[in-house]
Amino acid sequence: MRRLLTRAALAVGLCAALSPDCLAVDFRSEVRPILSDRCYTCHGPDSGTRMSPLRLDTREGVFAEASNGRPVIVPGQPDSSELILRVAADDPARRMPPGAFGHAPLSQAEIETLRAWVREGAQWARHWAFEPIKRPAASSAPAGEWGRNPIDGFVLARMRAAGLEPSPMAERSKLLRRATLDLTGLPPTAAEVRSFLADPSPKAYEAAVDRLLASARFGERMAFRWLEAARYADTNGYQNDRERDMWRWRDWVIDAFNANMPFDRFTVEQLAGDLLPDPSLEDLIATGFNRNHRGNAENGTDPDEYQVEYAVDRLETTATVWLGLTVGCARCHDHKYDPISQREFYQFYAYFNNVSDRGRYYKYGNTPPIVRAPTPTQRESLRAMDGAIADLERRVGGHAEALRSGIRAADLAGADDWAFAEGLAVRRSFDAAGSEPAGVRGRAARLDGRRHFDLGNLADYDFYDPFTISAWVRADNQTGGIASRYLPKGPKGFGLFLVGGKVQLRVDTASISDRQRVESRNPLPIGRWVHVAGVYDGSRNTGGMRLYFDGRRVPTETLIDESLNSTKANAPLRIGHGPGPDDRFQGVLDDVRVYSRALAPDEIAVVAVRETPAEIAAMRRADRSAPQRDKLRRAYLELAAPESARSDWRRLRAALLEREAFLAELPTVMVMDERENPRPTHVLFRGSFDAPRERVEPGLFSALPSLPAGAPNNRMGLARWLTSDSHPLTARVTVNRFWQMLFGQGIVSTVEDFGSQGAAPTHPRLLDWLAAEFIEGGWDVKALMRLIATSATYRQSSAVTPELLERDPQNLLLARAPRLRLPAEAIRDQALAIAGLLSEGLGGPSVKPYQPGGLWKELSNWGAYKHDSGDRLYRRSLYTFWKRTLGPPAMLAFDAAPRETCVVREDRTNTPIQALNLMNDPTYNEAARLYAERMLREGGADDARRLAYGFLLATARGPAGREASILRESLSRYRDRFLTAPADADRVLSAGEAPRDPGLDTPELAAYATVASMLLNLDETITRE
Amino acid sequence: MTFDPGVALTRRQLFGSSATGLGIVALSDLLAEDLRPAPANTGLDGVPHFAPRAKRVIYLFQSGGPSQMDLFDAKPGLRELQGSELPDSVRGGQRLTGMTAAQSSFPVAPSKFEFARAGESGQEFGELIPHIASISDKIAVIRSMTTEQINHDPAITYLQTGHQLAGRPSLGSWLSYGLGSESSSLPSYVVMVSLGSTGQPLYSRLWGSGFLPTRYQAVKFRAGREPVLYLNDPDGFSRTDRRTYLDGLAALNRAHLEEFGDPEIENRIAQYEMAFRMQASVPELTDLSSEPDSVFEMYGEDARKPGTYASNCLLARRLVERGVRCVQLFHRGWDHHNNLPSNLAQRCAETDRASAALVKDLERRGLLEETLVVWGGEFGRTVYCQGELTRQNYGRDHHPRCFSIWLAGGGIRGGTTHGATDDFSYNVAADPVSVPDLHATILHLMGVDHKRLTFKYQGRHFRLTDVHGALVRPILA
Repeated sequence: MRRLLTRAALAVGLCAALSPDCLAVDFRSEVRPILSDRCYTCHGPDSGTRMSPLRLDTREGVFAEASNGRPVIVPGQPDSSELILRVAADDPARRMPPGAFGHAPLSQAEIETLRAWVREGAQWARHWAFEPIKRPAASSAPAGEWGRNPIDGFVLARMRAAGLEPSPMAERSKLLRRATLDLTGLPPTAAEVRSFLADPSPKAYEAAVDRLLASARFGERMAFRWLEAARYADTNGYQNDRERDMWRWRDWVIDAFNANMPFDRFTVEQLAGDLLPDPSLEDLIATGFNRNHRGNAENGTDPDEYQVEYAVDRLETTATVWLGLTVGCARCHDHKYDPISQREFYQFYAYFNNVSDRGRYYKYGNTPPIVRAPTPTQRESLRAMDGAIADLERRVGGHAEALRSGIRAADLAGADDWAFAEGLAVRRSFDAAGSEPAGVRGRAARLDGRRHFDLGNLADYDFYDPFTISAWVRADNQTGGIASRYLPKGPKGFGLFLVGGKVQLRVDTASISDRQRVESRNPLPIGRWVHVAGVYDGSRNTGGMRLYFDGRRVPTETLIDESLNSTKANAPLRIGHGPGPDDRFQGVLDDVRVYSRALAPDEIAVVAVRETPAEIAAMRRADRSAPQRDKLRRAYLELAAPESARSDWRRLRAALLEREAFLAELPTVMVMDERENPRPTHVLFRGSFDAPRERVEPGLFSALPSLPAGAPNNRMGLARWLTSDSHPLTARVTVNRFWQMLFGQGIVSTVEDFGSQGAAPTHPRLLDWLAAEFIEGGWDVKALMRLIATSATYRQSSAVTPELLERDPQNLLLARAPRLRLPAEAIRDQALAIAGLLSEGLGGPSVKPYQPGGLWKELSNWGAYKHDSGDRLYRRSLYTFWKRTLGPPAMLAFDAAPRETCVVREDRTNTPIQALNLMNDPTYNEAARLYAERMLREGGADDARRLAYGFLLATARGPAGREASILRESLSRYRDRFLTAPADADRVLSAGEAPRDPGLDTPELAAYATVASMLLNLDETITRE
Repeated sequence: MTFDPGVALTRRQLFGSSATGLGIVALSDLLAEDLRPAPANTGLDGVPHFAPRAKRVIYLFQSGGPSQMDLFDAKPGLRELQGSELPDSVRGGQRLTGMTAAQSSFPVAPSKFEFARAGESGQEFGELIPHIASISDKIAVIRSMTTEQINHDPAITYLQTGHQLAGRPSLGSWLSYGLGSESSSLPSYVVMVSLGSTGQPLYSRLWGSGFLPTRYQAVKFRAGREPVLYLNDPDGFSRTDRRTYLDGLAALNRAHLEEFGDPEIENRIAQYEMAFRMQASVPELTDLSSEPDSVFEMYGEDARKPGTYASNCLLARRLVERGVRCVQLFHRGWDHHNNLPSNLAQRCAETDRASAALVKDLERRGLLEETLVVWGGEFGRTVYCQGELTRQNYGRDHHPRCFSIWLAGGGIRGGTTHGATDDFSYNVAADPVSVPDLHATILHLMGVDHKRLTFKYQGRHFRLTDVHGALVRPILA
């Protein structure tokens, strides 16, 4: 355990940096952890489980009397202190913690620590992480190679106190590779290595770091861990776990890191960008941070239950990322270890409980609140379209003005049937049938509940296709179908129906409850003509369904919103067929239309105008309604105006349709908002959604500072509070996480827990100095990364000597640089880069690289994973489509977080599954082939040069003599092998879709590719050292 | 998955060994002599906490919620109540799923299946599971399981991890973490999903390691050419090629180790050797051609088809024979909201024979005594009908209040029926068993005190059973 630097650590002299007096036991790093871990369950902050009035988490409690009247602690006299007597008691009945409840006794070392603490006066201090950050004076470190910046002074003092000396500086090539991998997640190119080695400037390394920080790759690298913290993924995370689109948020993160957005602003925008005055689209996109949580769409879930889970997830994620506190414990009861009451938990929760989202998320796509979030390029296109449309509208308007008086009924005499032609798939007006009754115009269809019209295989839409159904309806009965392509037994298909007097729009699947239905809140008037329209925009959720009566939108209720499977029905398009097997339409229908577009409200209004264009033209202008005027204008411009006007009109219509199609393809992103009527927040008994108790208002934790003056008591205030200069946690927690990124472990190793159960900092003064520096420097992330990466501490060699391994196996004192296996993303990205395959575009929709077949299908009802092709196979790994319940196996094998919940702790395991992955995944075998081609083409004239070049690409150095001979020997062995079996050579080279260089000899390439694979599998290659 | 190589290197081996001359030593031989781990990860010190009754567990997970009153929980009295309204007093205002909450009536749907007593113990089983009935005296049936979750995702997550939300380690991961592995060439926790079964989806978190290190997660075995992801070498690349490749790689790594001294490099070499061993042991394991015909008669002809439940049952036996600690099978498709009789019959036809054969086969080989077998789903089903009700056809909604599972093998008292439900198989009438109770009991049989198997994460000492769990003593032998 690296958590405690206890008495054992004292023995090797580690205490100096923790405590001014080496002989004293340090309460905060040594004593409180014991009390917290072993005593607080029953004698801590949780009032619900406190076993006696005794509290050991407060000064008052510790210096009070125990229940038997004896003092808990007598400073200086351990043998008179009840605390010591009880933990050290021989009698199990007296001993604390009580064995009867399954608690193990304290170890002898723990008892000795407590005893020494009491003997030395029992100094009490508040938990260190809640104390204000005080900038410590930077220790002086000897100038020169060591002592490049104040970090080194702190680190050196600490290791010297333990009798250690720093390691020599790393070799320059190693240092460049280390910094390049750490700051960009990619290896240096051969040219970068060469030019760095050739640069005589004493500031060459600093210049290289500046170059890396300025690279767009930096933002991608920084996003690796931020996406895990934010539980970012491309799916909803429950049950069938279908897709959502949050990549615009992901790109916002990359852009923000690249633009070096100050971390305080980075915080405010993500937590409360929607509450900024006049928020920009970027400000809104940023708030996707707290919509990245999972969303449940399972049939039968209780929305109220998941509403609670989402708010809790937002709270826990925010608390972990910014406060480094495990607040979640206080959901059901007061926190066992930290001063957070259950009531305070719900006060804090209230900040996150006022989003207008619903408890049940859509199975597909984004659940409101969402914003349409065009990329900068798309915004440019949109602006261009809007400009062209405005221009055309002006031109058309000019014609209309000029021709205002010129519209005559006679010009439109032939246009009685005028209708929107764009997207019109079907129209029936029944005028030909002689015996039919009078319709809205001409004849209409009378349906008697027995017959219907069968129109054959028309309008074959699936649930992602938009459509509009409209008709004039005079119903005689409460139930019956208007128009549909629908199998009532199933049910399956889509249609517009009358059910129990109300109008329903349905898009159904033959399954338990996979369907989408909305219903008009009010009944359709019976016995008179009403124009009815139902519009569906193909969004696969009822948010995209609208109903209109007589051209006006009517309020609807969502009956069910569970779309999962295809709704294609093996049925003809029918008019008058019922929603059930026997419920055929009774009444009269006229002018039934189906459009393969979602008509806009103004278009529906025009379709619902009963009068013909000629009739409108004949009316007095003042008598014309707005829709009538619109219909007349459109019909005129389309049919009767002079050619120049008609031409402009056609172009305008085409431009509008093009814009409509463009808008439909724009990405959206889920965002935060605030409900107008705040959702009341209650303390939930045992954390359960259906057990609300007292009502609470938004509020902070009493153990931490209060809201800054003038800050509103909402999410914005919360964000301002987190980023105020006097907050004790945000800066410490943040610099610690960045430190972990470069050193593999935090100064506080429990990066997620700065509370009383967390690890003590190994370098507390360094942590505070960095935090103070970060705040005073304006929360400048690149400056912080530069500071750390240019320290002598960072630049040491990572070689492990036997002495260091024995003295400090976990490298807590940093007398060497850490050797760290690369993150999952960097392992794959590096292989693609070495192979010359990496596609370097920034941002965009997530991509699907190679994945073994059948993985998705085995577990869920979502179709097969189909990998992309071309460049999309070779994007950086942070763009890989992430299905939450079944993440990319190669990423998970290398310890990427599953993205179901917030994870900030880095983890590195070493397993045979990793070995199998690197040896046999087509990703790496394809990369090995392309890498081999590079060796052959670019490496030089002979094997030695080619192998050395290959080695350089992977490790940024040349092979040592023995390494070179092992490589040569392997190459010649495989060359012989494949020369005698060229068919095997061909098969070995078959992985992946990238074309093979036809100019290269197959056995030769296979031999090189095998050596290339070895180089990709080398421990040094997948390690940053 | 537990693959700690357990390679105990001395300092001399690490730093003092001289270079092995030029390059390519047969590392496997070297490992065979002095470095190859005996059993790999040995688990935690002090675990097992006491003498285990079972060393291994096979959990046959029937995903979707099998209907207890059509299989295990006979309620003959319901026949007379066919179609009558479920009394409000029974339902007691219980939370329903969104799928039937709006239903206007809750008519009683008695099982259409016959029940019969079986074995000396006389336990009752429905007619769809005659083979399970035939091992009546070897199994303990718990009729009084209850869960807190009414929907699939949270319910199955709860059963697998002790918590309804994502993020906690699975039962098998806890066992791997606590007890370690007994095999040096196979993972300690293996999961298999019946191929082609459809129904409610599954998620990798169900066998994930949650906040435990990822090496404790299950390795999923798959039917077909490549039983473990990326197990197979590229086409055209022979075993000898791989051997020389690994020797060359190890020589390069070792050269670097001498210079850099990081023991993690040695660990990497050992992991690659483990991978090499798996490349041999897994295909050997999954190759059923050496099994005699009599075995296929037991498990059914389906067992010849890779990926079937029957085939996976047979593989489960082969895995525990080879020391794998925890094997879990998942069979989907027990979620019978409608057409229950025909769908249930189908699922039983796929699983009944092989489930029973597994128990018999383990017994025949003397493995049953130290292998715990568990059969069950994530919740039960309602007595009231969902959808159309006829004598011959009905559907049932999710039901968390009671369901039936069975256990057999190490430490289980066969022939025991534990717990009872009310006349409607709606509420537990006697001896409720919660999910943490079941977990505590499984751990207990494996020699683990569920209160003492903990992992500190986010400042808390987490355990599988959280703050709950009581042993189900009456089913223990």
